[in-house]
Amino acid sequence: MRIIKRIIRTANLCCRPNSRVCGRMEIKMKTKKNSEKRFQNISLVIMLIITVFCIMPFILMIAASITDENVLIKEGYRFWPSKISFGSYYYLWAKRETIFGAYGISILVTAVGTFINVALTSLFAYPLSRQDFKYRNFFAFFIFFTILFNGGMTASYIVWTQIFHIKNSIWALLVPNYLMGAFNVLLVRNYYMASIPISILEAARVDGAKEIGIYTRIILPLSKPVIITISLFSGMAYWNDWTNGLYYITNTKLYSINVYLNKLMNNIAFLKSSSSITEGANLAGLDLPSVGIRMSIAVIAMLPVLIIFPMIQAQLIKGVVIGGVKG
Amino acid sequence: MSSTHGIAKVTARRRFIKRKTSRINYVPLFIMMLPGVLYLFANNYIPMFGILIAFKKLDYSKGIFFSNWCGFENFEYLFKTKDAFIMIRNTLCYNLIFITLGLVVALSIAIMMTEIGKKKIAKFIQPAICFPNMISIIIVAYLVYAFLGSNGYINRTVLDGNGIKWYSEAKYWPFILVIVNFWKSAGYSSIIYIASISGIDSSLYEAAKLDGASKMQQITKITLPIIRPMIILMLLLSVSKIFNSDFGLFLQVPMNSGMLFSTTQTIDTYVYRSLMELNNIGMSSAASVFQSVIGFILVLLSNAFVRRIDNESALF
Repeated sequence: MRIIKRIIRTANLCCRPNSRVCGRMEIKMKTKKNSEKRFQNISLVIMLIITVFCIMPFILMIAASITDENVLIKEGYRFWPSKISFGSYYYLWAKRETIFGAYGISILVTAVGTFINVALTSLFAYPLSRQDFKYRNFFAFFIFFTILFNGGMTASYIVWTQIFHIKNSIWALLVPNYLMGAFNVLLVRNYYMASIPISILEAARVDGAKEIGIYTRIILPLSKPVIITISLFSGMAYWNDWTNGLYYITNTKLYSINVYLNKLMNNIAFLKSSSSITEGANLAGLDLPSVGIRMSIAVIAMLPVLIIFPMIQAQLIKGVVIGGVKG
Repeated sequence: MSSTHGIAKVTARRRFIKRKTSRINYVPLFIMMLPGVLYLFANNYIPMFGILIAFKKLDYSKGIFFSNWCGFENFEYLFKTKDAFIMIRNTLCYNLIFITLGLVVALSIAIMMTEIGKKKIAKFIQPAICFPNMISIIIVAYLVYAFLGSNGYINRTVLDGNGIKWYSEAKYWPFILVIVNFWKSAGYSSIIYIASISGIDSSLYEAAKLDGASKMQQITKITLPIIRPMIILMLLLSVSKIFNSDFGLFLQVPMNSGMLFSTTQTIDTYVYRSLMELNNIGMSSAASVFQSVIGFILVLLSNAFVRRIDNESALF
């Protein structure tokens, strides 16, 4: 109220013709406006510098991947290579079996994992959102407790390897850690509670719909936005995962692209040994571009994220905002 | 008269609801939850019992759960080593820097972003500063290597050939890791603050402007007080995770280099190394149990603390 009164008072003062206050206010407003403008410009400059700082390493990496191998050894990585060559990409194309294999594993794991994750999460969240479900508090605590406490990495490792024996199988990339998470479940539950009116469910029940029918015909179509959000989270987690591969996979055929990059980092010679003999024979005359090749594989591994991210970023940021408030 | 009528109505309605709820068949709901419950058991609850491993002398011939008890022997060994001190010190120090400096960085970015929010270029800036958080830490390690490797940009171009062997000099790594961490996560962590700042009623700022408040005053007197609950919540959440570290950042970015352990070893990397590289399950499980138990206590404490300040934003 006080603010409004004040605004009215200043407005009145300004309207008085030739008033001294009015003139002073105008000058004051003008300087304020200038300082506002200045602050805005400074912000813009700083943010642009931060943006450049964020993007710069990627440019260096891409530049390094297309630098000629000899130049690379002589001059080091540069933003503006003095001689451009796509040698490392040709080399990778010749070795495409390994790279595509790893890509295939990554795509498979991401697609299947995200699908199962969304299904499990939504199925688990729906009963939790039902006000009339008697045990919902018990189950809510059951999943919430996993945020508070965990057995630690060593215990998980022993359970997965000694009890479930998933070492060196595709399940090792798929199952541990990422199949269903408390964060996503609570996100979906909150969405159901906030945006699906109970009256719809009651009407459906009066019409004789069964629980499963209500879920598949009413809940799922209505929950499209939140399902997109959690599938983005889950897909990102699967695509970028390397820890499961690090702990549970030693078979080179099951390397996902990130696990492959990780092993490559430790041992560049891995690429030589892992290619098949026929491929190796074709490449006998080609010398191994060991320095530039790391960067070109990293570029290739980053490419899908680089292409998809601009399309999904708005949705993803929205999801972070919704989810970040609780949880 | 009307009140008794009202009561009768309410009881009738209650009875109606009761009759209706009792008709609900829980079985389909249980079936829906079953896969999730099974997964939680396998992924989260069975490993909780795995904590017992830390109190056992593991003997594979007897199996994990039938090995002999050894009490706190594993913990005693662990805390006698120099590693224990180093890893706990590193974890805590890095986290303190990440939390305090991270808050300042995220808030500044958020304030500047809302300032330029109306301009078209903001639509490009925000995704660009969030992008580093979207790629895997392995690729980040490659990027860092492009700068710091023996052929890297810094050694060959900035230092003009008088290179520093970054990957074997531990003293530089606290700075490198802090820079890499902020490069990766600053933009992403500011999203939540951007959202809460843009939710503030703009008439507050207009009134302040009329009263002659400078931009700095607007920030300290309006923006910060209003988003204070959010800041406290975020701070407490990160304090409760102070014994955890970003495993990838500390393992991959220093390229798992043994010469850097004194400044890059954290509890998470120790757990990994003693489990997978040294095959010392006793030490590994002792460290990971220590981490998760202390983490649990810290979560409970920080939640109790949030409750006292602001009941609404408490986790539970």
